[in-house]
Amino acid sequence: MARLLQVFGFLSVLFRGATLAFQSLAVGGVVFLNAVLRRTGEESNALRDACLRWIGRAAAALAAMQLAYVLANSLILMQSADMPLREVGGANFVVAGAIGIVSALLMVVLARAGKSVSPAIFLLPAAAIVASTVMTSHAMARLEYRAPLVTFTALHQAATAAWLGGLPYLLIVIRRVANPDLARQLSARFSQLALVSVAVLACAGLVLSYAYVGSVSAVYGTSYGAMVATKVLLFGLLLFLGALNFQLVRRGPSSSILASLKRFGEAEIGIGITVILTAASLTSLPPAADLTQDRVTRAEIAARMAPRAPRLASPTMKELPEDIYAAMGKAFEVGPLSTESFVPGQAGTRPNTPAEKAWSEYNHHWAGIVVVAIGLLAILAQAANLSWARNWPLIFLGLALFLFLRSDPEVWPLGPNGFWVTFADPEVLLHRVFVLLVIGLAVFEWRVQTGRASSPRVPLVFPMLVAVAGALLLTHSHALGNIKEEVLAELSHIPLAILAVAAGWSRWLELRLPPENRARGAMARLWPVCILLIGVVLLNYREM
Amino acid sequence: MHLGRRFFTHFLLLFAICFLFCGAAAAHAVLMESTPALKSTVSGPDVPIKLRFNVRIDGSRSRLTLVAPNGSMQTLEISQPAGPDTLSAQAKGLTPGEYRLRWQVLASDGHITRGEIPFTLKQP
Repeated sequence: MARLLQVFGFLSVLFRGATLAFQSLAVGGVVFLNAVLRRTGEESNALRDACLRWIGRAAAALAAMQLAYVLANSLILMQSADMPLREVGGANFVVAGAIGIVSALLMVVLARAGKSVSPAIFLLPAAAIVASTVMTSHAMARLEYRAPLVTFTALHQAATAAWLGGLPYLLIVIRRVANPDLARQLSARFSQLALVSVAVLACAGLVLSYAYVGSVSAVYGTSYGAMVATKVLLFGLLLFLGALNFQLVRRGPSSSILASLKRFGEAEIGIGITVILTAASLTSLPPAADLTQDRVTRAEIAARMAPRAPRLASPTMKELPEDIYAAMGKAFEVGPLSTESFVPGQAGTRPNTPAEKAWSEYNHHWAGIVVVAIGLLAILAQAANLSWARNWPLIFLGLALFLFLRSDPEVWPLGPNGFWVTFADPEVLLHRVFVLLVIGLAVFEWRVQTGRASSPRVPLVFPMLVAVAGALLLTHSHALGNIKEEVLAELSHIPLAILAVAAGWSRWLELRLPPENRARGAMARLWPVCILLIGVVLLNYREM
Repeated sequence: MHLGRRFFTHFLLLFAICFLFCGAAAAHAVLMESTPALKSTVSGPDVPIKLRFNVRIDGSRSRLTLVAPNGSMQTLEISQPAGPDTLSAQAKGLTPGEYRLRWQVLASDGHITRGEIPFTLKQP
């Protein structure tokens, strides 16, 4: 039963995340259709058809994910509380899910009907979809100021969808449009929509942050506060790219406008996805304002972050707990029980032993040494044009082997738990996926750096994987309680994630921007420095 | 060439990959205070139980279970709540010993959390 709950708990998380993603795409497409793609003349029919196709697909995916989420969550409730199906049927999340599914299916039908339906009609299911998500948000469960918080959450989500969810549709239409003037007109119109959306998003975000974070000490003292700060930082990065776009549309040289616009748009979408992921991650945490005890202090952060010599000696396997899974289960059954909350299928949290912490620090520090070497060689290859230094991506293969052996000592090949446990434990699975990502980085980028890659798409693999790794770090699992160690771990992961996002998208822009765009050179110099800094941060990673 | 379509396919794939591994759920209820308190000693044989959470909870779809010193489990009947964030019940006729109160709540935002409160019952 515990394993079943764990699997369904993980599936429920997966479906929830996918639901949020497809909601942004579907609703963003509808807003784009109404606010940007109106009265564009002859050419507009083909553009509208393209948008409708993707709105329909996003809505169909949304309905499927929403259904899967409701089913998985219902099953968890039925199994964990021994509750009959008819009783589960009246729960708030089932009602909200049903509204979302019906609205999404209605949107699919409308999108199939195509030109015979006025774009304004699509706004009704779009509003219902946003409402269904708001029904299962933090705001809905608050004890005080529920109505205003629900309103601000709805505004926040709708504005996010209009801006970030609408951006892919802008790229689709400007790739398809033959008339440059029309492309410029559509871009200008989207810029206006984006400006309004950003203003609404920021104002609603400020109100929600005040309600859910409440104080400066909660910003750095809780996981929730730290994630809000990260979201604000990424939002600032998006605004910077948006401002560059805005300038291009208004004053840029016509020859490079569209090419640059598309490239900045791609980076904006990527960083936008990261922001949505950070937001999704936030919803898994209790608001900082509710956790007034055991916050991390500035002195504790300074003590943890103070530079120290790297740990280059590892504890032996014998010093680690014999079977970590059994130890966790035992800790929950007979250990220091608390009022701490956990989700069904999740074991009670057990503090890591000093040997486990030393094991982890050793892993991070050796990884740091490898990444510093990669960063330095990449800078050297670029600055001094040394051909041998261009083989730097191969160092990633050593890193992949190191991570595979040491990231989860309780699991095969070092530990007593077999290979298939990898697929049952989300954290181990995540680590194994990271190993595959690192191997991908090594192979693809080595071919690019040494001139072996013939396809123009292959160079994009490296920036994409680095950016995805950064986004994944921001969505790493969080403890529900305000456990200090979790917050301190979060604070050390956040700079790594932001640097990875910056490295990935600056390399992307270096590759994709037209040569005449002056930002290209700056981007080329930025990403190796970001990689070097990732290594430096890893070298100072601490768990005690 | 449908570059837009191809790009969009890649974009959707990226969305799917990212969300496949995201650690997100939605807001969960966290226990703020309880009677009996964590690891406290209370007098029996009847013990009033009250749990307060940080958010609104769905009392009719929440559960309280008492694990007796001999390991037997008893589902407690949840009484009319004092507030939208509170679960109340009454455990009756308990004998002295070490008990564990297991709770599972469904928050109004649709998410399930559970936990355990150990306490000791002494003779009145």
